[in-house]
Amino acid sequence: MRRIFSSRSVVVAMVVFLVVVGLITGSNWFAKRTNTPPFLQRFSNDLAGGASRILAAPTNAIGRSANSIGNLLSTFEENKKLKSEVDQFAQDKVRLQTVEEENKSLKQQLKLKATLTDYQTVSAVTISRSPTTWQSQLVIDKGTNSGLKKGMPVLAGSGIIGRISEVNTTNAKVALISDTSDSANRFAITVKGDDGDVNGIVTSFNREKNQLIMGQVTSDNKIKKGDLIQTSGLGGVIPSGLFVGKVASVAKDDYGLTKKIYIEPAADLGNITTVMVAVSKMGDN
Amino acid sequence: MAFWQFTRLKFVYPVILLILFFLDGTLMSALGGYFTHFPFHILPMLTFVWLFFGIQFKVYQDIPFWWYVLLIGVMFDAYYTGIFGTYIIAFLLGTLIMKQLHYWLDERIIAGLLLLLIGIVVYLIITYFAGFIIGIANISLLNFLIYQLVPTVILNVFIGAIFYYPTWSFFQVLN
Repeated sequence: MRRIFSSRSVVVAMVVFLVVVGLITGSNWFAKRTNTPPFLQRFSNDLAGGASRILAAPTNAIGRSANSIGNLLSTFEENKKLKSEVDQFAQDKVRLQTVEEENKSLKQQLKLKATLTDYQTVSAVTISRSPTTWQSQLVIDKGTNSGLKKGMPVLAGSGIIGRISEVNTTNAKVALISDTSDSANRFAITVKGDDGDVNGIVTSFNREKNQLIMGQVTSDNKIKKGDLIQTSGLGGVIPSGLFVGKVASVAKDDYGLTKKIYIEPAADLGNITTVMVAVSKMGDN
Repeated sequence: MAFWQFTRLKFVYPVILLILFFLDGTLMSALGGYFTHFPFHILPMLTFVWLFFGIQFKVYQDIPFWWYVLLIGVMFDAYYTGIFGTYIIAFLLGTLIMKQLHYWLDERIIAGLLLLLIGIVVYLIITYFAGFIIGIANISLLNFLIYQLVPTVILNVFIGAIFYYPTWSFFQVLN
């Protein structure tokens, strides 16, 4: 009988295993501590980003048509529902413009340059998405040359989808909120409850329920299903007022001492073709 | 270098490997709505399927195959995850096991697809456990098996089956 592996292969395999575990933990440690990857990695990523861009054009076109066929089936029902919502939005828009004007003039009177709610957006196109088990990351077509920095929040559709996890010269990676690594979704949020705001941070993501978790909430303020959640701006990098999602359920933690809030994310993490990176103006002060 | 040399396997194989490497990512992005439709998480693994064809049709004997596997692993880690190690070992071990088992199986398409199936399972299981090393695993093994491993295997074995004979003829022409 032929043996599948020789004893030499077993030794080689063991050495390789140790080296790889070292590599994984080492490069993970290194990636967390640096803002931009080493030159060689950055250079090869820029090169790979260029190649991806060429291939992204035809594949995105195929994806768009596949999505349009899918959307067509639910269009009629959706259209009816949306029409009723549009009138409400027009009213809100007018109100928002008036309040924005008022806010601007009040800020001028107070001689405030920029506050937590002031941010600019940089639009970018998704050129690739990691076909990986963990660390679902997007590659977008803007990098340090557009002023992006590690840690900036990224928005798509109606809400926040993740943060910049690595910046190369002409492209950047976005770690999605569905990723449990520390850099992806630990940001400060506020629940807009009836009794007042409840502040906290996102502590993890439950991939089996597709929901974000805000853990260790000690506030007694009442929080109910459907309450809106936005970024609080505490911590500095992420501006205040970015929509995160709605409260899906509130539960006690394992010890019954604090509350655990499950959040239904506002953004659809499946279909992300274009994104906006929110750049806080606070640093300009 | 004469033009005819560009049509040789030595040149064509790595070029297609590279194209499929990028295609995996762009497909995941363009069809993300389908591939990551909750609760599923399906991965296109065209690069891996191409490596399988390399083994099944014994192309690996004529080209620096293992260097390509290593290079693709390194590129995959650099470009898609930013953390080195996981996919280098997943690609290497996945293909190595396919190559070793290839001696035992015959040349029929069904035996080939079984080989691909085993390779993909090994690849995915390695990536699953690598997630535990750096503490980013947030899904139970059962859910991983049902919503990721099984649909990913079905999709990629299906792709492998469709392109099996066209690839075989293609390699015949190049040789």
